[in-house]
Amino acid sequence: MNKLICIIGTLLLLSGCGTTYHVVPEVIHLPSTDCTIAGILEYEGNHDYLPRTIREGGDRGSMPVIRYAYHVGYGKDSIPEIFPLFNPLSLVGFPVGSDSLVIVGALDIVKAGETLKQYSATCVIDKNRSLFYEGDTFSELRKKGLFMVRENIETQMISDREFLSQLLQ
Amino acid sequence: MSVPLRKLVFSLSLLLVALLSGCASLGPVYQKVETVPADRGLVYIYRPSSFVGGGVSYDVKVGETPVTTLYNGGYYPYLSAPGEVEFWAKTESRSAVTLDVKAGETYFLKGTVGVGLLVGRPHLTVVPNETGAGEIAGCKLIPEKQMTAKAE
Repeated sequence: MNKLICIIGTLLLLSGCGTTYHVVPEVIHLPSTDCTIAGILEYEGNHDYLPRTIREGGDRGSMPVIRYAYHVGYGKDSIPEIFPLFNPLSLVGFPVGSDSLVIVGALDIVKAGETLKQYSATCVIDKNRSLFYEGDTFSELRKKGLFMVRENIETQMISDREFLSQLLQ
Repeated sequence: MSVPLRKLVFSLSLLLVALLSGCASLGPVYQKVETVPADRGLVYIYRPSSFVGGGVSYDVKVGETPVTTLYNGGYYPYLSAPGEVEFWAKTESRSAVTLDVKAGETYFLKGTVGVGLLVGRPHLTVVPNETGAGEIAGCKLIPEKQMTAKAE
């Protein structure tokens, strides 16, 4: 009986914890290979979030334009502020708030005004907060999500490396 | 006055002090900032009036510099340098949100207070401009003198 109470108690405490990350499209991670495309980079933002498969450089006349942009959207807290005040289960770890974040990254390769290839990735992050678990802040979640989007696009480009090398010749 | 009555009055006084400790005399009701320097982004930091955590206020900071003290029903227009800017606040837990500020753009940063173990917890989030513009309408300006911690 005591074991059962312990298990139920632990489950209750943990029910409000945890962060889920979901990145689409789903990709099979390939071993890191040297796949870098050079071009005229159009990007406003922190270069840490830029896929490492692209770089600025080359002959400006013949190089493609590489555009990268991301958008971060913040979800509404699905748990009303007043609810946890009257919910006794908050004291045993039930969620008192939730955070959600959607990050979309898009990379376009353009040459002579024509879009040769587009890559995009979306990361959806959900987190519940409880009295005993706050988890990562929006800033930290955003950073992790942007890195996941970056890696997803890199993987897509590595899978396409033969196609890309032919395309850019 | 009997002893139980005296205790009750004392307890109620303590409760009143606790409730009023987060209050502040705020300025005029929301007015849109008309002129923004060309090299700055405008970030409205606001907190809609709410019963939950109404007595709790907290400093919103950029880096280690306090920008404003966010009171219940208050707002503060902050002119930010462009770039990746993190706003954060802390009571018994920390809340932080990062904005990609662009010059000439307007952003709405919403603060709320959630349930905490000992004190209400701050929660900062970014809301779409349409939502923010609607919610900030009832908020009052937080004067700079109301800040508990001054920017250096």
